[in-house]
Amino acid sequence: MDVTVIADSTDDGLTPVTAQLVGAATSIGGNPTVLCPGGVGASEAASISGVSKVISVEGDCFGTYEGGAWATALDSQATGDLVLAAASPRGRDIAASLAALRKIPIIQDATGLEVGLVVSRPIYSGKAMETSNVEGPCVITLRANAFDAAPDGGTSEVSTVNQSADVGLAVKEAIAKASERLDVTEADIIISGGRGMGEPSNFSHLNEVADMIGAAVGASRAAVDTWEEIPHSMQVGQTGKTVTPSLYIAVGISGAIQHLAGMKTSKYIVAINKDPDAPIFGVADYGIVATWEDALPALKTELAKL
Amino acid sequence: MRRGLLNASRVKRGGASWQRSFALRGRDRSDMAYEALDFYDIDALLTEEEKMVRDMVRDWVDKEVIPNIEDACRDGIFPDKWRVDLGEMGILGAPLKGYGCPGLSYIAYGLICQELERGDSGVRSFASVQGSLAMYPIWDFGSEEQKNHYLPRMASGELIGCFGLTEPDYGSNPGDMITRAEDKGDYYLLNGAKMWITNGTIADLAVVWAKLDGVIRGFIVEKDDPGFSAPEMTGKHSLKASVTSELVFQDCMIPKDRILPGVKGLKGPFSCLNNARYGISWGAVGAAQSCFNSTKEYALSRIQFGHPIASFQLIQNKLSWMLREITKAQLLAYHLGKKKDDGTWIPEHISLAKMNNVDIALEIARMSRDIHGANGILDEYPIMRHMANLESVKTYEGTHDIHNLILGRHITGIQSFTREP
Amino acid sequence: MAIGVLLKQVPDTTAKIGVSGGRVDESAVSKWSMSPYDEYALESALKLKESGGGDVVAITCGPARAGKMLTDAAAVGADTLMHVQIDSHDSIDSTQIQSILAAALERAGCNVVFCGKQAADTNGGSTGPGVAMLMGASCVSHVSEVSADAGGYLALRASSGGDERVHVSAPCVFAFDKGSEELRRPNVRGIMMAKKKVIETVSPEDLGVSMGESRVTVVSHSPPPEKPPGQKFEGADSVATVVSKLRDEANVI
Ligand SMILES: Cc1cc2nc3c(=O)[nH]c(=O)nc-3n(C[C@H](O)[C@H](O)[C@H](O)COP(=O)(O)OP(=O)(O)OC[C@H]3O[C@@H](n4cnc5c(N)ncnc54)[C@H](O)[C@@H]3O)c2cc1C
Ligand SMILES: Cc1cc2nc3c(=O)[nH]c(=O)nc-3n(C[C@H](O)[C@H](O)[C@H](O)COP(=O)(O)OP(=O)(O)OC[C@H]3O[C@@H](n4cnc5c(N)ncnc54)[C@H](O)[C@@H]3O)c2cc1C
Repeated sequence: MDVTVIADSTDDGLTPVTAQLVGAATSIGGNPTVLCPGGVGASEAASISGVSKVISVEGDCFGTYEGGAWATALDSQATGDLVLAAASPRGRDIAASLAALRKIPIIQDATGLEVGLVVSRPIYSGKAMETSNVEGPCVITLRANAFDAAPDGGTSEVSTVNQSADVGLAVKEAIAKASERLDVTEADIIISGGRGMGEPSNFSHLNEVADMIGAAVGASRAAVDTWEEIPHSMQVGQTGKTVTPSLYIAVGISGAIQHLAGMKTSKYIVAINKDPDAPIFGVADYGIVATWEDALPALKTELAKL
Repeated sequence: MRRGLLNASRVKRGGASWQRSFALRGRDRSDMAYEALDFYDIDALLTEEEKMVRDMVRDWVDKEVIPNIEDACRDGIFPDKWRVDLGEMGILGAPLKGYGCPGLSYIAYGLICQELERGDSGVRSFASVQGSLAMYPIWDFGSEEQKNHYLPRMASGELIGCFGLTEPDYGSNPGDMITRAEDKGDYYLLNGAKMWITNGTIADLAVVWAKLDGVIRGFIVEKDDPGFSAPEMTGKHSLKASVTSELVFQDCMIPKDRILPGVKGLKGPFSCLNNARYGISWGAVGAAQSCFNSTKEYALSRIQFGHPIASFQLIQNKLSWMLREITKAQLLAYHLGKKKDDGTWIPEHISLAKMNNVDIALEIARMSRDIHGANGILDEYPIMRHMANLESVKTYEGTHDIHNLILGRHITGIQSFTREP
Repeated sequence: MAIGVLLKQVPDTTAKIGVSGGRVDESAVSKWSMSPYDEYALESALKLKESGGGDVVAITCGPARAGKMLTDAAAVGADTLMHVQIDSHDSIDSTQIQSILAAALERAGCNVVFCGKQAADTNGGSTGPGVAMLMGASCVSHVSEVSADAGGYLALRASSGGDERVHVSAPCVFAFDKGSEELRRPNVRGIMMAKKKVIETVSPEDLGVSMGESRVTVVSHSPPPEKPPGQKFEGADSVATVVSKLRDEANVI
């Protein structure tokens, strides 16, 4: 079965998801052709094992991002009944445009894929799972890290195709990202500090981790009450904010019942605390018994590797 | 919301935290939605419009009142932003029609009171006084000019009104009031003093009841009228987020066209009170629902003797009593609302609902306080605030026992307010 | 000018979702709301109307219960309401829903369209770009602000390095992220007007869309997979292990 994989990339090259798309394609017996929009990451893609060929699609349209135009340019090169793309913001957008162009259905954000085709994905923000059956050609986007990546070691050919499409929009101004901190209620990842941080200035370590993973920084009430620098808007808990991120990292927080009231429904909880008997470990999926002075530098190192 | 007596180091206080909590606004989608106790599904009896109005006010209370109420109480202020918001939502003078007023059903008006008082009785008091005690008499007894002049701007919240009936020496017995008006040909001259007047100091106008040639009449006094002042009363342990004032008239001169032409005698102030008391019967339900929710949650999470206290029979007995009384109070309020809407009510119906619903709400607040243990005295929970507020609500708009006397007279035909025949 | 807004009614994000008999139990949903990103789309459409005139046409495709959400939209200022009634979202696939919405937009004469970047139930994100493709329109995704500009529109959208202001002309679709504007509250006047507003209720056939068979069939819904029991590690050396588990087991970073 021929499968088209739309490579997922940033300005710096491929993201790790591309190899996962290839892995997913081969796991159901597919024969993947990787399309690289604008030619980004073509040689990297060629080195993923299992890829049958790489097509670098180049054209003026790839100078400005417009999902519809990119999908139109890619369309002529997409072969086979299954198109896979990453469930990243751009991936979803291009995939949906391509599906509409081809008048075939799309399923976004799949976390499981089986021959048949049987697709599963989380719905209601992960409060339930849906399994569905697709007949005929379709486009599916895959959630990052839900599938095993194909290993390195491929040696497929790269061909270049010039194919553009009309772009309907023009960029007038680029505005650099203001490093404004996310609010805890809006973040998908939260790292919170408690009285165990010792000094309010030590929250800078939490900020650094947060910046690496796009997290918001929260706090326990003891931290908020003790230190002027930690505003109440950061407080998580019964009398602070109730949060349900995918990942909650509690650092130097004992895990009082009132704190738990605000975060225990988080999907995953990591606790870093030097006291092995701290109640926070009772709700943690992954507990690390260590001081933050030791654990946070290690965390930064590991996150930098991702 | 924030503070606590738990930490000795209360580093931050006052203004800064006030601003901070206002910055917390916005759609906080991750907070659990407020689920009002509605055991008998009163919801199913409401019209779509009534539900939409209720939800609008409910959302507003969640976003604006609850995060800020403790600061407002501590500072003893009614935040001006709330006046603006209430005006923008268009719920002031809810059941009045025309002159820029909302023209909602009495049921909708009741629901508004219920939601506001779920936040705080002070917020509901503001709305009751503005709508039922200040706008209503102008709407019912005012001249065409008075209605056009005041009502649209009162409905929008631009002008605040207050209602001056009670005097230092005459509370339950307002008929013996001392405040006098004299006709001076070109103007009226007012002398006397009112006390316990909600919104007095922040009001742009006061509807004042005074005797003209021995007959009680209503007058509109504006805040800049010569000889008029409205000093604030301080030191309240109840309704702290509501402004309470004295109104002082010392040779206060007001133009002739400020008398309410349409009513003479106690009927004037009493008709206003009927509407406000009706709203209170719903408001009390809101305060009780708030206490019930907090108590249920607390009892389920508080572990003593190895078990959630909610699992003990004595606690369950209290919770079931609360559920029972709230459900009955809701049915009273709803049925009375229907009677208000179709005009088949008598004042005694209102007395019964006001008296009963405030009574059970206060009892529920006290019981909730008990179940919350020591935590119940903290401002982290709404309980003690509701409890203290409801003490005022029990007294104003006719004390609990005055309503008993009204019903007693209704049953027996014998008045027992006074020994004089 | 008709400004189209595509709205979807979803379980409130604070509502509990339960599964019974292999299906999400919709009757147990305590509160239905307008999907959050759609609220920002609606807000921005109303702002655009206020600055440059036009009619805001609120369109939903969904079961009967979704009508209430259109009335809510009218309460904050939507002028025209169109409800394409279907039995359930379960039985139709993306091509069908997009054809319906594109046909509804055509019937309402909208060539500027606002919608949310994804709905809070399926969390998909196909509707905006898909409808745009069918309309032959440009789709600007992850938008937080739109204003009229020199014969077209200026939109603020998220890009990898920050934000970008892009110019686009009609026909176009704006798929909204969380907007920068505070959402307006309804008021009594709006609610009274909304009550009087008629919802044009149509079927896909009325719009000339022949539905055919859905090519996607929902086999089952299930509760989310159970998490493994908590694990505790000693010492900072374990950080590497935890990070790899977060990545591979939990899929959260
Ligand atoms: C009505 C009420 C409402 C409340 N509401 C809230 C609320 O909304 N939110 C909230 O958080 N609390 C709330 N509290 C307070 C709550 O009971 C706790 O007091 C508070 O959560 C404790 O904060 P903490 O865990 O930061 O501090 P502590 O309990 O003092 O814990 C500090 C932890 O840090 C660890 N530690 C110390 N040094 C290090 C180090 N170098 N490295 C790693 N770990 C270290 C310690 O082992 C300890 O476990 C409320 C209390 C009440 C009564
Ligand atoms: C916070 C607050 C806000 C208020 N706002 C306003 C306002 O905006 N405008 C306004 O005009 N007034 C207002 N009031 C005043 C309120 O209406 C009066 O307090 C109320 O009418 C009771 O009057 P009183 O306090 O003088 O008590 P009293 O009349 O002195 O009563 C004291 C006690 O005696 C009992 N009692 C009195 N007469 C009898 C009797 N015949 N038989 C048996 N028992 C009797 C009462 O039930 C009560 O228990 C407000 C009061 C409060 C506390």
